[in-house]
Amino acid sequence: MSGADDSSGWQLTESDPGVFTELLKRLGVPYIVDDLYSLDPESLASLQPLHALIFLFKWLPNTSSDANSLPAGQYDPDFPGFFAHQVVNNACATLAVLNALGNIPDLSCGPQLAELNSFTTGMDPQTRGLVITSADWLREAHNALSPPSAISLDGLGLPRTTEDAYHFVVYLPAMGSIYELDGLKEHPIKHGAHDTSGEGWVKQAREVIEARISTYPVGALEFSLLALRDDPLPILQTQLADLQASGQQAEAAELVVKLANETSKRDRWAFENSLRRHNHMGLAHAILLAMAKAGKLEGAKTDAKNIMKNSEEAGAR
Amino acid sequence: MSDLSSSSSYLLAFKAGRAFRREGSNFVDPSPTKGAVALVNGEDGLLHFVWKNRTSGVEEEDLILFPSDASFVKVSSAPNSRIYVLKFSSSNQRHFFWMQDASPDRDEEFVANVNGLLQDPDYTLVWGDASAAGSSATGDASTSAAPPAAPATTTAEDTSAGSNIGATPEQLARIQAILGSMSTGGNVSAPELSLTDILTPANITPLFTAHPELVSTLFPHLPPDLPVPASQDAIQRIISSPQFRSSVANFDQALRTGLLGGLVRSLGLPEEAGTGIEPFLRAIQDQAGRESSGAQPGDNMQTD
Repeated sequence: MSGADDSSGWQLTESDPGVFTELLKRLGVPYIVDDLYSLDPESLASLQPLHALIFLFKWLPNTSSDANSLPAGQYDPDFPGFFAHQVVNNACATLAVLNALGNIPDLSCGPQLAELNSFTTGMDPQTRGLVITSADWLREAHNALSPPSAISLDGLGLPRTTEDAYHFVVYLPAMGSIYELDGLKEHPIKHGAHDTSGEGWVKQAREVIEARISTYPVGALEFSLLALRDDPLPILQTQLADLQASGQQAEAAELVVKLANETSKRDRWAFENSLRRHNHMGLAHAILLAMAKAGKLEGAKTDAKNIMKNSEEAGAR
Repeated sequence: MSDLSSSSSYLLAFKAGRAFRREGSNFVDPSPTKGAVALVNGEDGLLHFVWKNRTSGVEEEDLILFPSDASFVKVSSAPNSRIYVLKFSSSNQRHFFWMQDASPDRDEEFVANVNGLLQDPDYTLVWGDASAAGSSATGDASTSAAPPAAPATTTAEDTSAGSNIGATPEQLARIQAILGSMSTGGNVSAPELSLTDILTPANITPLFTAHPELVSTLFPHLPPDLPVPASQDAIQRIISSPQFRSSVANFDQALRTGLLGGLVRSLGLPEEAGTGIEPFLRAIQDQAGRESSGAQPGDNMQTD
């Protein structure tokens, strides 16, 4: 197989805010990714400053088989910003993040990403995609949160449900317009000028995304939305210090709650990420062994057989 | 996932297993699981590319294909293998398969017909001489690959004797095993139980309550970078997590292949334990008996 045909060592990763945020950390970017449960103005306002929205959906062949009949917007082959094609499998999440980051003015990031961005300046999207996905350090950052392959279950024909192709499309403001960056499309798609006052670019972005969602038949699409935003922790901490210094106890108490929520979210991410990196086979074996020592394994086996039998009888499988 | 049984119809089917790209490399490893690829005219009116596990009867892959979007081609860098890739012009999605019919004689014929249908779902299938007995334009699973549930449009013809000339004894034995399992409904090796139904919080939590001394035996197996101290509480969170559950489900699936002999030795179990879920659990029971009789004679509550 040629290099363009395969995953080139890029492993599947979960599409989870905790995974994205860990990736951003490794890229040296002071942003986080949060789930977006609603596109209403209040939800979006609470996440400002927002840099990009990532629209993530279960890929169905019909959703982009006709790449030329765009649901909205128009190709912009002269897009002067950063746009890379997705040239290997499994890299889509990281590629979407890079397509977003590459278009954020004055991005603060680590030296490797800065070098990659400047090195690929002026390249066509395909070459850019190839250069990005051949960067070892980036692949390692991407793979850091995929389950360990130590269990070596490859080649055993296990159903890989995660291989369900999720597809990532970035929406962000660039040069006064809303752009849609889709690594599987030939060019960036321009959706017209956005507001600069009031709600700003997210107003038009919301309209574009909502219009897109409405073009799919109900139930034909699994999707979620992620928000790329400033890490709120340092901002909240500074604000809290200011409020405390000026004796505004009520406002400070409110911020303490927000901070506690943010911190517990980080704790949860850290916990889940450590589970993602771990091979749990040893734990599973140790638990079964403990059950056997306690004389509980036989009973559990009988129960499990009944569950299997009942689910077969019920035609559940 | 979808129920293709009612008003859908099989256009063609052939025996094929899946193959998977080895992580971190360009290698594609064929999975030994017996399967069949079927092209199905779904009741939704769309063309479905289905991969069915012939052992479990489960349709593990069901892809909706749109005319001219996909092609089914031989993996060129492995000219002597029978690995094919289903690829799409609209995406980078790749699905690998390997031909499991004993004889490669008809590979090209199936592939040509698959591609005909991928281009145009109304394509009229063309079958060569070898399958004259069962060929028809409406559907032909002229090998034994048609899943047991295949509707009547498929011709229930076994692997034709003619095409098996030259098959190795191993291949013939495999075909016989396939036929054997099909004659009993294909359920002979359906699993009796699943590890996911044993390693449940409902089973594990009372264990901790009754035997708190067992909790600490699990600590060495927790993630080394767990950001909280090892505790019963942390273990409860782990066993309820999607990551642990999917790990167990993967391991369960892997055990069902019966090919984990090498792997289970790293758990201090005999190779036999890697041949299935029952042998695995039996070996653990024995292991518990050995460890208990050695270290804690009083705790040996159960021996087989």
